[in-house]
Amino acid sequence: MAKAIISEDEIQVVDHVPDWTAAVKMASVPLIRAKVITNEYVDHMIQSVKENGPYMVLTDYFALMHARPGEGVNKPGMSLLVTKQSVDLAGKPVKIFLIMAAVDNTSHLKSLQKVMSVFMDDHSYQTILAGNRQQIITLLKKSEVAK
Amino acid sequence: MKILAVCGFGVGSSMVLKMTLDKVVKDLDIDATVENTDIATAKATDADVYFTSQELSPDLQESTKNPVYAVKKYMDKGEVREKLEKYLSSRKEE
Repeated sequence: MAKAIISEDEIQVVDHVPDWTAAVKMASVPLIRAKVITNEYVDHMIQSVKENGPYMVLTDYFALMHARPGEGVNKPGMSLLVTKQSVDLAGKPVKIFLIMAAVDNTSHLKSLQKVMSVFMDDHSYQTILAGNRQQIITLLKKSEVAK
Repeated sequence: MKILAVCGFGVGSSMVLKMTLDKVVKDLDIDATVENTDIATAKATDADVYFTSQELSPDLQESTKNPVYAVKKYMDKGEVREKLEKYLSSRKEE
C-alpha cells in the first residue's frame, strides 16, 4: 500500500512558538508518540545547531532538522511543523521545521529525495510556507512512497 | 571532476546540497559526479572541489589542498551555480 510521504498526523501548523528549541520539540511530538524517535534524538538535534551552526536552514524559512543517524532513532521517519510567525534559529528566520530521523546512511534517502523534490518546487514551497494545514496535507499526499 | 557535498552527519543537508549541485551540473552541462558525505569522512576523501557550510568549511580547509566553497543556502541554485562557476573559471586559469 502506498503511504503519504508525511502523513496527516505528522503535520502541525501553529501561529507562533516561543523559540526554535520549542519548535523542534513540538515538531518532534508525533514521532515520539509513534516511537519513531526518543527524546535523546530531539536533544541531539538541538545540540547539533549549537555545535555546528544553523547550516540546516537550507533556504529562507526552511530548516531540515536532523542529527546523527541511529542514536535515539528506532525507525526512519519525518514530521513537519509550520509556524506562521517566523522564529529565530541561530540568526536565521525559520517558519518550516522538517524533522528527519534516519537509522543509517541510506535507508531514508528515497523518502528524503521525494520530500525535497516537493520542497524544491517553488509553487509547492509557497503553499507550505503559507501554513494552510489542509493544503499542506493534500500536497504531501500527492507525493506518495511505496511502503 | 568529482564534487563532494559535505554536512555534519552526511545524511540530510548534504543530500539536499547534492541534489542542488546535480541540477547545476546538468544546467551547466559539465562532466562531473557529485557525492555527499559527513565531515569526518570528507576529510579523508579526495575530491576536486568541496562544497559545505560556512561553519564547517574552515575545518575542512585544513585537511585538503583542493578548494572548499562555503554555501549559505543549500537549496539556492543561484548561489551554488555562482560558486561552481567561480571554481570552473579558477581551473581554467591554472
